[in-house]
Amino acid sequence: MHKRGIRAWIIPLLVFTSTLVKFCISLGSYSGHSTPPMYGDYEAQRHWMELTLHLPFRLWYSYDLQYWGLDYPPLTAYVSWICGVIAHWINPTWVALDASRGIETEGSKIFMRSTVVAWDMLVYVPALLVFSRVWHGNRSGRTQELALLTLLFHPALLLIDFGHFQYNSVMLGFTVLAMNFFATGQDLAGAAFFTLSLGFKQMALYYAPGIGSYLLARCVFLGIPGPGFKHFTRLAITTISCFMVLFLPFYLPPFAPSFMHILNPISRIFPFNRGLFEDKVANFWCASNVVLKWRERVSRSMLVKFSAGLTALGFLPSVGVMLNSGWRMRMSAASNVAEREQEDQEKQTPFLPLLPYALLTSSFSFFLFSFQVHEKTILVPLLPMTLLLSGAPVDSSVYAWGVLVNNIGVFSMWPLLKKDGLGFQYIALLILWNRIIGYNPLRLPSGTLVQLLSLVTYTAAIGLHVLEFFFNPPSRYPDIYPVLNVLISTPVFVLAWLWSIKCGVEVGWAIGGPGPASASPTSASTTGDSIGRRAGSVGLGAGEEGVVMEGSFRQKGGRAVSLGTSQVNRRKKVGVKSRMGEEWM
Amino acid sequence: MSRDSLLDSHLRKRTVSQPERDLSTSEAECHSLPKPSQTWFKWDIERAEWNILIVSTMLKLLLYPAYRSTDFEVHRNWLAITHTLPISKWYYDTTSEWTLDYPPFFAYFEKLLSIPAYFVDSRIVDLNNLNYGGWSVIAYQRTTVILTELVLGAVLIRFIRGAIDPPTQRIISASIFLHPGFLIVDHMHFQYNGFLSGILLWSIYMARQGNKLASGILFAVLLNFKHIYMYLAPAYFIYLLRSFCMTPSGQPEIKNFVSLANAVIGVFLASFGPFILMGQIPQVLSRLFPFTRGLNHAYWAPNFWALVTAADRVLLFIANRTGLKISINESGVASTSRGLVGDTIFAIIPNVKPIHTFIITLAFQLVVLVKLWRNPTYKSFLTALTLCGYTSFLFGWHVHEKAVLLFLVPLSLLATERHAYFRTFVICSVAGVFGLFPLIFTPGESIIKVLYSICWFALVYVPLYRQVYEYPRSLVFVVMDILEKVYLAGFPFLLVLTTLIPAYTNRRVNQKVDDSSRMDFLPLMMTSVYCAIGIVWGYIRLLFVYLNEEKTYQGQLSTIR
Repeated sequence: MHKRGIRAWIIPLLVFTSTLVKFCISLGSYSGHSTPPMYGDYEAQRHWMELTLHLPFRLWYSYDLQYWGLDYPPLTAYVSWICGVIAHWINPTWVALDASRGIETEGSKIFMRSTVVAWDMLVYVPALLVFSRVWHGNRSGRTQELALLTLLFHPALLLIDFGHFQYNSVMLGFTVLAMNFFATGQDLAGAAFFTLSLGFKQMALYYAPGIGSYLLARCVFLGIPGPGFKHFTRLAITTISCFMVLFLPFYLPPFAPSFMHILNPISRIFPFNRGLFEDKVANFWCASNVVLKWRERVSRSMLVKFSAGLTALGFLPSVGVMLNSGWRMRMSAASNVAEREQEDQEKQTPFLPLLPYALLTSSFSFFLFSFQVHEKTILVPLLPMTLLLSGAPVDSSVYAWGVLVNNIGVFSMWPLLKKDGLGFQYIALLILWNRIIGYNPLRLPSGTLVQLLSLVTYTAAIGLHVLEFFFNPPSRYPDIYPVLNVLISTPVFVLAWLWSIKCGVEVGWAIGGPGPASASPTSASTTGDSIGRRAGSVGLGAGEEGVVMEGSFRQKGGRAVSLGTSQVNRRKKVGVKSRMGEEWM
Repeated sequence: MSRDSLLDSHLRKRTVSQPERDLSTSEAECHSLPKPSQTWFKWDIERAEWNILIVSTMLKLLLYPAYRSTDFEVHRNWLAITHTLPISKWYYDTTSEWTLDYPPFFAYFEKLLSIPAYFVDSRIVDLNNLNYGGWSVIAYQRTTVILTELVLGAVLIRFIRGAIDPPTQRIISASIFLHPGFLIVDHMHFQYNGFLSGILLWSIYMARQGNKLASGILFAVLLNFKHIYMYLAPAYFIYLLRSFCMTPSGQPEIKNFVSLANAVIGVFLASFGPFILMGQIPQVLSRLFPFTRGLNHAYWAPNFWALVTAADRVLLFIANRTGLKISINESGVASTSRGLVGDTIFAIIPNVKPIHTFIITLAFQLVVLVKLWRNPTYKSFLTALTLCGYTSFLFGWHVHEKAVLLFLVPLSLLATERHAYFRTFVICSVAGVFGLFPLIFTPGESIIKVLYSICWFALVYVPLYRQVYEYPRSLVFVVMDILEKVYLAGFPFLLVLTTLIPAYTNRRVNQKVDDSSRMDFLPLMMTSVYCAIGIVWGYIRLLFVYLNEEKTYQGQLSTIR
């Protein structure tokens, strides 16, 4: 493709084709299609447009709760309101209050589908474009394009957002934007965007330990007390004021009856009165429930405590590593004050590469151990996984893990997709994505744990599909296939969670060495060689020991870095080339 | 790309192509030796080709739930007819209104497809299960389209292998395989054009390799699959007669003639034989050629008659306005207001009869055929073939817009010959594909057809454009170049207009302001007329280029004898 002078066209074309694919998926069925009286997620989202359009703020979180009452944070409500206004302008019957319930006309379907694509284009796609520029800034244009390709065609998200019908890409997009701002050192903007992410969907809370620990480590790194404390105050004020603004109409008297009215949305957003898990979800509770039957043995309140404790245990290692790195950097950096000030200006963070791993660990621990998890929630851990995967060469273990977890993530949603009538889309997207990223499980580095795991899991998954296709479940166990699905998927997710902890620790070591005595990256910049070596091994997902070198590093010791990189890049190019399939045209 | 490197690449092309030419001609000779049986069954597919195949197939898989026209039910009914009825009743059955009206090979093809269909879901082949829309039948029929289209893919890969400039041929091959026409007509609307074009290209490929007998046989087979390919028959007839049944000096080659005649008769016997034995030929022919239709199809295909019809409408409008005393055909006025349905009757312009269209078509084809007779090379044949199909599309009686694929496919093979061909290809493809858009009118699918076509165009245009670029040589060319660019730039506006007008009227109807059903026809007419302008212009261009072939540099295909 590059040879033919299409280079300048690749990124627009990628965005364009991904949009095409999104519309193609949209042709299919959606959650709750023609299943009265409750329908599904599609109807929920449509219903929210209807109620936000026609009702005053104070009724948003209390109107007819039995029929898909609003239970997402305010930003979703505002987005629904905007969509509702447009829908009303085009065709008022699509969002008529109460009268439009369960409407399934062709026009209304196209409108709903287009809103998802539009919000995705507004938030998620720009976030990814910036991500590939910022996080892979020191990599070749080709790698950046490949990263974008990997992210744009991410099958799990495409299937859920454009097939099943939800707006997850907005929530994920805000998180990616936040990460982009962290990478460029604009912590306040990053925190604000993460607040937006939380304000769109409470699921973003799964990232909170990762992001929180990163920001805390930043404060530690800047020095507490002193600049760090000031930074902390600023962050706190930004976050709180963002939340205040988001919830404004729900407690300020002109709109809301009283300040206490705020409890109304809060109790809707965090429903602790639901079960431990719904349907079948590939997490610890559901998988172990096959044998242990939790709900019969332990009381609900105990279960809540259990799950909270386990979740916290799950993400603590990554928080620890992050804070520890911040602390060690501070120690070593303190020895070279002049350079540290310079770095402050450039707002570089040496432990930035830990961020995706921290997000992965914390979101996995929530997914596996927390309360009230849906199968769709796997999208949350899949995002940092795919971000890591996006820049990884084919022969790295990040690549192997990334693709495995993604594929199994999609597989774990199969019962849901089957119910929605998205079987063809499931097959098509899995094959499409695996092909365009050049994945072949047989060609992974042989003898590694991840290859063995991949082969075993894929065999089991394909076997299960074949069984399900040819045989109906026995009448004694009507749920046998979803349960088997959970039992195949859960071990992969547990191992991936452990792997993410391991990687986090390794990256933590690689950044500053095991102890405070080792040289800091900034002081090492004088010795171009050592930095070059580091920069070479780096890049997001270049290896477990990966450290991201930012653009400004390049400005400082830029030449040395790029010289050092070339060797390692040569190795990578082999991989990249075969992934790209040499030439497309 | 800078000027320097542009020149550089041109030079390189010239210098490199010389030895390559010799090589390829010798290769072509090798191929004509009895060797093909070995090479045909080799999995000779490169990674890039696999990528295109897999990615496009997955995209088509996503289109399974897309809108499908009545043609879907037509083909399902044919599966049912050929499966449940004995062969003697195939062309008599009227259970469904969609009676079998393709030649026998296609009926046998449907019979073949109906066997697995029965095992997939026996309801598919139930004759009385009209308009069956179950999950199984959609999956099955759509899958057969994708699988039979592999014929096209296989032939296109063969085209790359022996090509003079394989990288360029690869782009052309990919552009044909991924043609938006196939996506719209086959994978949404539902037909088997990919498969049939595969046979056509196979026949053309055989002509390129010098195996003219095989080329003739394959074309005879194709004719027995779908008789619309008769549009191309004159070119085949003249080419084979001149270059296969005669020596270059004009002496008859009796042996070749007899073998070709026998082979073609054999093909027709294999196809129509059973019906000859049963004495059903008149019935079969009456199904194949129903002469009861009007000049224009429901939606006017973007051809010459669309322009004439539009001119008639405009004249009528002017006549009504100015109160001129011209004899106005009253039924023609009624025909105007009916717009979409029924026969087209002109109000002012004298009416056209089938015989008129026949004479005009033949006259234009004759011009082309005379040139082909004088210069029966592969490239000349390819151009003449394209022009024959083109002429029939432009002037034929009751032409479908889908028939545009008939000449777009061979025209694509000529695309990189020279800039003149390339520009013709661009104008015809854009106008032709846009002319297919009205086939798909549901909103969700409409977005897809537009996005896909834009993607396709960018992927074809950008890499090919630089290879063939030539500076315009005189002021006339400069003006022409600008006018053509303006014309092409008009398509986005046309798209916006044709989208907004129905949206606007829908809104008015929804809000009970008025119901102006007259407006429904307007976007279709605009599309048809605007595309017709480009297609007629493309025809003039191609005809001119063909009749005034450049002497100095003719393009790579000229080297193939």
